Amino acid sequence: MKNTCLFMLFILLSCSVNAQQILICNNAKASFFSSTVMEDIEGKSAAGGSVIDTKSGNIIFKVKNTSFQFKKKLMQEHFNENYMESDKYPVSEFKGTIKGPVNMDVDGTYKVSIEGNLNIHGISKAYKTQADLVVGKGMLNANAVFKVKIADHGIEIPTLVFKNIAEYVEVRIQATYLPKK
Amino acid sequence: MKTKIIKSRLLVFSALLLLTGQAAFSQEELEKELAVPAAGREKVSATFKSTKLINGHTNETLFKNELDFKVDHRFGDIAGSNGGIRKFFGLDNSTDVRIGFEYGLTDNLTIGLARAKGATAVQQLYEGSIKYRLLQQTTDNHIPFAVTLFGSNTIAAVTANKDDASSPIAYNGFKDRQNWVAQIILARKFSSNLSFTLTPSYVHRNFTAFRDQNDMFAIGVGGRFKFTRRMALVVDYFLPFRDKSDKAYLEQVTATKFYNPLGVGLEMETGGHVFHLNFTNATGIQEMQFIPQTTSSWLKGQYRWGFSISRRFSFAH
Repeated sequence: MKNTCLFMLFILLSCSVNAQQILICNNAKASFFSSTVMEDIEGKSAAGGSVIDTKSGNIIFKVKNTSFQFKKKLMQEHFNENYMESDKYPVSEFKGTIKGPVNMDVDGTYKVSIEGNLNIHGISKAYKTQADLVVGKGMLNANAVFKVKIADHGIEIPTLVFKNIAEYVEVRIQATYLPKK
Repeated sequence: MKTKIIKSRLLVFSALLLLTGQAAFSQEELEKELAVPAAGREKVSATFKSTKLINGHTNETLFKNELDFKVDHRFGDIAGSNGGIRKFFGLDNSTDVRIGFEYGLTDNLTIGLARAKGATAVQQLYEGSIKYRLLQQTTDNHIPFAVTLFGSNTIAAVTANKDDASSPIAYNGFKDRQNWVAQIILARKFSSNLSFTLTPSYVHRNFTAFRDQNDMFAIGVGGRFKFTRRMALVVDYFLPFRDKSDKAYLEQVTATKFYNPLGVGLEMETGGHVFHLNFTNATGIQEMQFIPQTTSSWLKGQYRWGFSISRRFSFAH
């Protein structure tokens, strides 16, 4: 009987460890910034969703294109209508793997590299970027900055506004993950 | 014996749990963990690219703190007795020219001021307008179509004709110079490429030619078919409801015939600018003219080349 009790305890423990394995963030921030002599353009979303499997290091990040907000709403309309074609490609997503150990049980800052595929405008491209992961109070805070070449994802810039939109846009990601409950 | 079996079963069970607990999630399994962002109720945007099709309005209003500067031009008849090579296919004449400014007070409320030459005897037109977006179509079809209200007052500054009391400009005072238009613009975006409008309209002219109608109802239909990301075919048509005996009388007296305005055109969008190249039998640009006063016919070659250029400036910061 004693043994049975021990087993039960062990099962309970393993279950709690299991729950810690998946980290989820439902309000991740994503923004991009295009800067030219003519114009600065910024789009911000606070409605990204992301999930990490701490065991394998797999990470998925998704954001709806229509959730990006712009200061000038006509730009927002153009962003969805003419560039992202959000009705055809509603979601931009990243699927990849965190390279490097992250221990959720040890608070601290982890500099890791993340590799994977970024799908924007229906076109997928392999990316590799550095990210800062901060573990504390059972949460994981992630920050990453990388550049995306617009032409890589089949997004055409008409010659008339060619000088207003940068060839590379800077993408910033900020997400706070909590263990799955 | 029994407890032993239970114990061994528990052992297997817990071992299994441990195994699954430690196993890594595949990308597919991981994806399932991610709450799918709810499709949600989103407002349909960009049903049209411009606040106007060719003759008629679309349901679109400007965003807050946006200024739209628009120039409309209608040339003379391309063919028929007033067209052809002698008139350089209408380019020698302009039946109407309009310069307009619109400003977005809020995302749903746009006000406008415009000056138009005016196509009939009723000329030197000043228009004040108001456009209010009442309802926006939603992606989940909870609201299946958009509703926008449009109202305008056009004042004719032309010198009054005091000699002929039956003239449309035999004005007696300022009140006679005013013309009112009210429209309910219903619009639906069927797909990213296809949008339509249905526009019940009411035109009230305080003063008209003898036996012409002061009040007139009309229904407008319009459509836009986008065939590339930045080019679209636009069409609109208005059907005025005219009193038969008044119509017959006027057609006899003026030796003209009334026709329904039909416009077809090409819309080009360049990011801030919207260009329209169009053909229409209507000579006037203002609603209070092209709805009740179109007397030229497509079938007689009395259609004209026209264009509009719209430039939107945003003062949002």
